[in-house]
Amino acid sequence: MDSLFQDFAQANNTLNGYLLATTISPVPPHSDPARLYNFSRSANSYSIQTDLRYKLQYNPDIQLDRKEANAWLEVYTAFYSFVGTLLAAEETQNAGRAREADWARVYDGWKEVVNALLKGYQSSMFAVWTIPCLYTAGRYLRVFAIKADESIASQRDSGLAFGGIQEEDAFNPDSKHEKLEDAARQINRIFALCTSDRAPLEQSRKWALYYTATLLFKTYFKLNSISLCKVILRSLRAAADSDMPPLAAFPKAHQVSFKYYSAVIHFLEEDYVTAEALLTDAWEQCLRTTNGASKNLELILTYLIPTRLLTAHKLPSKALLAPYPRLAALFDPITSSIRAADLTAFNAAMEAGEEEFVKRRIYLTLERGRDIILRNVFRKVFIAGGFEGAKEANGGDGTPTAASGSATPLVRRTRVPVNEFAAALQLAGAEVGDGEGGVDGDEVECLIANAMYKNLMKGYIARERGIVVLSKAGAFPGTGV
Amino acid sequence: MMGAAPAYTAVPARHTLQQPPPPPSAAQPPKVTWSPAVRLYVQRAFEQDNAIPGIDQKAMQDKLKVIITEAAESGRLEMIDWRTYPLPQHMIKQEREQAALYGAQNAVVTNMNAALPPTYDGAYSPPPQNQRKRKSPDTQMTLAEELDTTPPWKKNQITHGLEDRISGKSKAQSKKQKKIENMRLNAELSNADALQRRRQRFGHTPEPSPYLSSHEDSPAPTGPVVGTCETLEKNYFRLTAPPAPHTVRPLRILEQALDLVRKKWKNDHNYTYACDQLKSMRQDLTVQRIKTEFTVKVYEAHARIALEMGDLGEYNQCQTQLRALYKSHLGGKPEEFVAYRILYYIYTRNRTDLNDVLADLTPADKQKPGVQHALRVRSALAAGNYHKFFRLYDEAPFMGPYLLDMFINRERLAAMAAICKAYKPDISVHFLAKELSFYGEEDQDGTSDADAGARQCLDFLCQHGGEHLVERKETDVRFLCGKAGALFENARAAAFRGVDIKGQI
Repeated sequence: MDSLFQDFAQANNTLNGYLLATTISPVPPHSDPARLYNFSRSANSYSIQTDLRYKLQYNPDIQLDRKEANAWLEVYTAFYSFVGTLLAAEETQNAGRAREADWARVYDGWKEVVNALLKGYQSSMFAVWTIPCLYTAGRYLRVFAIKADESIASQRDSGLAFGGIQEEDAFNPDSKHEKLEDAARQINRIFALCTSDRAPLEQSRKWALYYTATLLFKTYFKLNSISLCKVILRSLRAAADSDMPPLAAFPKAHQVSFKYYSAVIHFLEEDYVTAEALLTDAWEQCLRTTNGASKNLELILTYLIPTRLLTAHKLPSKALLAPYPRLAALFDPITSSIRAADLTAFNAAMEAGEEEFVKRRIYLTLERGRDIILRNVFRKVFIAGGFEGAKEANGGDGTPTAASGSATPLVRRTRVPVNEFAAALQLAGAEVGDGEGGVDGDEVECLIANAMYKNLMKGYIARERGIVVLSKAGAFPGTGV
Repeated sequence: MMGAAPAYTAVPARHTLQQPPPPPSAAQPPKVTWSPAVRLYVQRAFEQDNAIPGIDQKAMQDKLKVIITEAAESGRLEMIDWRTYPLPQHMIKQEREQAALYGAQNAVVTNMNAALPPTYDGAYSPPPQNQRKRKSPDTQMTLAEELDTTPPWKKNQITHGLEDRISGKSKAQSKKQKKIENMRLNAELSNADALQRRRQRFGHTPEPSPYLSSHEDSPAPTGPVVGTCETLEKNYFRLTAPPAPHTVRPLRILEQALDLVRKKWKNDHNYTYACDQLKSMRQDLTVQRIKTEFTVKVYEAHARIALEMGDLGEYNQCQTQLRALYKSHLGGKPEEFVAYRILYYIYTRNRTDLNDVLADLTPADKQKPGVQHALRVRSALAAGNYHKFFRLYDEAPFMGPYLLDMFINRERLAAMAAICKAYKPDISVHFLAKELSFYGEEDQDGTSDADAGARQCLDFLCQHGGEHLVERKETDVRFLCGKAGALFENARAAAFRGVDIKGQI
């Protein structure tokens, strides 16, 4: 108990919120790994209130207002009983009986700590420098809720929980996240506590907003309720209009994670332009850190690559992916098939990676890489068609000669028979067969029409003549031909 | 749903007329008897300093009226310590916060709204009745209720009012006064917190989940009902209390009932009747907790009929249940309904849900022809491959066409937008009709007349303002699509803008 309150005193005297947060952390500091155990042993549930009051109110190192001391007393009382449940659960787990560890109780115990904290803030007992405590509070709500849900599920599966497999489950498929749903509500309370703070900026709890918002995003993602994230984004936007510090004034860590999550939300809404801007920002900020936030960089790339594929038709280089073997394994088959304009390989890669892509919610975006492949196939046909006039001179091999080049500026052959596109598509593995060994010309035209509609290709189809007339200047925008 | 939640929403009988201020009646004590304490309280309520922004005078006055009339009616006028009794505006505020607390998901929004001018008036009423009751049971209880349910804490502390219990400490007047002021200063959130503590004392869970709140006050579940009803037909009636066994049909009767409903549906095609009957069957199954292959059959039957009639509300309810039922492997036709689900999300264009469906599919699911068809529809549309999409439309299995019909027009417009941009200068209407799957009415012998399709296609073009671009050339009718780009681009954008989602859970 002593080391804990030494830190508490020091934190209070130096207004160090992060140090203060370690005193209510469920993870003991490195310097004092036995802290929780000692804290639990140093008192019993009968005397804890008195002991704590003594530490908080009559401690010469700590000068606290009586009411504030009372508020902390509640926090640490709750923390004391929480530590009891936590140590019990950890012990059971370490004894090899992981299934019996009561993480649900740990979660409930932690919730009490959070409640006591929130109460202190609600009655304005705790100054703004203490908000790292709210970070710890929210963060572990989520951690313990996930653990609790997992243990409830595994108990249920093994029939340990009362009544074995509950029949109600069939009608209530969401019950497996019961605690996490509750955690989302609790974190939302923290969020509300911060948005509703009307104190002047320098004393405002609004400084905790982005951190809390990120926690909520994480939780909602896990719960698969992305739509709720939009509510949070909207209220942040509303807060930003009134009196909110600019995002850039927040700690870097808050900025990066917030940008990442809001980018992913925009990504899922198909707002790729916003997503790209946010991801690029986050990427650059991450790169500038010295401790190599490689996990974050990897996460950012997971969304930045499909985004860039869509917005700029750009593929990641081997060098970019080299430090991230997992990402390389995920994206390499896709990118190389797009580069080779090989639809068969692309389809195989999409199928092979489907599970992972769907899990990361990038499948539906990556799929649109098909457009780029088709564009590349059409472009190859166009290039293979060679140049007007040069054709006769060179026996149709398409290579311009110096002689013909000097006379008139070279013009590519812009009238391409649909048949040539059809053949190329078949070679590339497109499923344009008519089911009887032939080619479905209408489908080929449809694919061409689509490429034109999406501005990947300029020109028009003259159906009656069976040719495609391509634009003389920049038939394939952005590709140099 | 909680533990063994009953299949009805408990609606407690109204104990009290808690809402609008009761009309002056003979039962009310004569007006002259207001004590000085009460008059002071009223004065305090009107003081400018005590006003809370966001709560207007009118709301406050109404509440004040309710408080005093109720106190008078229950004879507590003299018992209440009016000096410390919470002011009406504080009560209103509490109630609003309470409401905010309940919609935990919406909490943030509510907070945002705090800055906006209030839209509440005095008659503010959160939807479920029992929520409101939980808020301030002591101020709103009638005399009769109070007599037999006054809990011990109330008997002891009735004179100390709300604040005293919030601070939960000293009873000395001076100290108390201070506390109250303190509390008012930072009233906003501590109230909510105090209320939460109070609710705990009432034995409620500290944070009622918004999903569960409607069940919270329902009486302890009594276990499944075993029906004894022998009648085949039964009208649907929304339960508000556990059903009597003689009104519930047992499985064997329900099985006959399903056959009957199916037969009648085939003969009369009366949707109102069929829907009503199927709903009552679903209810009987739920209250008896029957979860067998037959349950699946009932939901499937209802989903199909609803789909046929375009009743998306009922259809979605059934789909939600079916999804859960299929997870318990009770049989039925998961292939068919998984395919419907995919098609439905294509219709609503909900990418998140679509992604989830894809995540749910097992390799075995993907091998089933019905599911494969739906997946091919999805990928054709994702690629903008209208040609393939319309071919798939022609060969949709099960009741797929009903779902596809919901968005076929939208996709026709999308295809037209692409065609108009790509084909120049004009195009045969016969070709368009074929590409866009216009076949006209099929003849009895199954052959369709090509001109009928072209006529339908022309109708479609004209509907969207393309009549001036239709030309007759020799033997063919041509559409000047080169000039219709903007026309169909706008129509396409409008068609994709909004999808009305009904009853989606």
